[in-house]
Amino acid sequence: MSQSTPDTNIDVASLVEDVNLARIGQYVLVILFIGFFLAPLETGIMTALKTNEAVARTIPLAPPTGEGFTWGNLQFALEQLSGAFFNSLFMAIPATIGSVLFGSMAAYGLTMVRWRGQMAFLILFLVGIFLPYQAVLVPLARFWNNIFPLASMLAPTFETLPYLQDYHSNLVPLIITHIAYGIPICTILFRSYYQSLPSSLVEAAKIDGASVSKIYRRIVLPISKPMFGVVFIYQFTQIYNEFLFAFTLITGSDTPEAVVTLILPAVGASTSGIDFGIRMSAAFLAAIPTLIIYVAFAEQFAKGLRTGGG
Amino acid sequence: MGAINIENLTKRFGETTAVDDLSLDIADSEFLVLVGPSGCGKSTTLRCLAGLETPTAGDIYIAGDHMNYRVPQNRDIAMVFQDYALYPHMTVRANMRFGLEEEEGYTKAEREARVEEIAETLGISELLDRKPDELSGGQQQRVALGRAIVRDPEVFLMDEPLSNLDAKLRAEMRTELQQLQHRFDVTTVYVTHNQTEAMTMSDRVAVMNDGRLQQVGPPLELYHAPENRFVAGFIGEPMMNFVEGRNEGDRFVGTYVEYPFDATIRDAVDGADDVVLGVRPEDVAVDTADGVDESDLGDYEFVMHVSVIEPHGDQNVVHLNHPGDTSESDLLHALTGGTDIFEQGSEVVVTIDPSHVHVFDGESGDALHNRRIGPEAEVTNV
Repeated sequence: MSQSTPDTNIDVASLVEDVNLARIGQYVLVILFIGFFLAPLETGIMTALKTNEAVARTIPLAPPTGEGFTWGNLQFALEQLSGAFFNSLFMAIPATIGSVLFGSMAAYGLTMVRWRGQMAFLILFLVGIFLPYQAVLVPLARFWNNIFPLASMLAPTFETLPYLQDYHSNLVPLIITHIAYGIPICTILFRSYYQSLPSSLVEAAKIDGASVSKIYRRIVLPISKPMFGVVFIYQFTQIYNEFLFAFTLITGSDTPEAVVTLILPAVGASTSGIDFGIRMSAAFLAAIPTLIIYVAFAEQFAKGLRTGGG
Repeated sequence: MGAINIENLTKRFGETTAVDDLSLDIADSEFLVLVGPSGCGKSTTLRCLAGLETPTAGDIYIAGDHMNYRVPQNRDIAMVFQDYALYPHMTVRANMRFGLEEEEGYTKAEREARVEEIAETLGISELLDRKPDELSGGQQQRVALGRAIVRDPEVFLMDEPLSNLDAKLRAEMRTELQQLQHRFDVTTVYVTHNQTEAMTMSDRVAVMNDGRLQQVGPPLELYHAPENRFVAGFIGEPMMNFVEGRNEGDRFVGTYVEYPFDATIRDAVDGADDVVLGVRPEDVAVDTADGVDESDLGDYEFVMHVSVIEPHGDQNVVHLNHPGDTSESDLLHALTGGTDIFEQGSEVVVTIDPSHVHVFDGESGDALHNRRIGPEAEVTNV
């Protein structure tokens, strides 16, 4: 520590030597790209904090000053979205847990347990991934409304539950639909992870006398924790941000059970024009739950990606 | 008890036949080593025994009971895997207890006591509350053994359990495994590709190649009386020398050497056309050629040329070539004492005692004649 430190002295000569046209070009390009990606974000945040008047007068990138600054947009957006937040989370969390759990079980059954006709089932799952949502909208709506009106069947029960109203039962068909359509992709993600696990683990458990379900519960499930992180984040983001199924099964933004993605297009829009400040505030608020999930699962996420499954 | 009978076991994977009509009886509390090169079907045989693979044909009996349709947990076996297959999220204690949870007749306290008792025997008591990734390779190996022993099975199946350890630890564990096997007196089937492990640990060795059983017997029988060229070449390090040539009635004629047959060998090889002469490196005697005239050489002596010397300290491996041979491959390898130093490139006189010579059929590879030990001694009594 007390040594003279010639190597920490900045060697000006070599610095000058390092500077050449290619290097400068590289940095300029990097800075341009950073600007390209960050400018919209910065604009969004600034707009969210400006009054309508300030939005019209100042350039979008500039921060709000003096009179132009307000928390009002965020407050208003939060009021508009608060019910929808509850609906969205009430729908997205069970749907995510359901599809991830069933996906992992299906992947276990398809990779680590041997039985006849496995390939055919795997192909069915693959087909499920490539099925376009638009193709099933009409049958789906008819199924939940006419053939099996689960929502209206559950409505009386929901009314008696704490914190819930009868209209929340309309979210149940949406949850089940999301679970069903989420299983294929979750299965494929888990399958690639399970294939990378050493088969001797399952074999050792078999010899130790564990049944197929015990092997899943005691060995496979705990080992796939990192992969759960990855798939959970992915699936939550998908379901939370999904619009088409919600729009079909819940019908409109004016209903009390509407989820965030249904409300969002309507917030800040009126006959007198669009209030950009409110719209931006609402957009940022809507993104918060997914951000929280990312932060909460960041460690598992990184581990899961590292172990090579995803 | 834990005797194993394998009758006409065949296992195919699609078009490939991994195990071909294998029959093998393993006595109770015997230590049998299945050995062979990679892909010879030894692991598949073991996995059929364990119930991890279903045989295509044939029957497996353990302790007299037919096993083909039994799931692994009902076979009363325990298996040690090459990668140990310890459950990474459980402590050593939980790893060892896992198999006991399905066994009937244990209370919770008895299970704990059993785990502690076995851990004590293996010297891993202080590791019980650690996770597998906090253990060294040797410790993981011990835990894997403990997990097998704790269930008190009729049969131990071991799939190359020592191959992930470094050489020194492997030698230690070899001895320890043997001691454990004697102590618990459990029938053990041990798969390895390492012929040192096969020779040193086993009661009997079964050599496999291409899915077929080549020979079963005590290690020294395989060493001194191999039934075919494959077994002769596989057992022994450095490998047995093979010289290909023709049988001309009273002598062997190869490209560079002629070797006279004595009466015993002549009778044994009678009728064979192409033959292969086999001699172990330690049976090739090497001496300096200083002052020796070609014409003085006996029938079993040859002048050769030292191409490479590999010193091992206690012994040297001498690579020998015929002076007329310009090809890269060596004709013979010889083992000499550590202090017998020969110069690379020098001429030497090589003596091969006719009583040490094996002769194999050139086409089928079957042994026609094996080396003699003592005047009339039976090889199996060595």
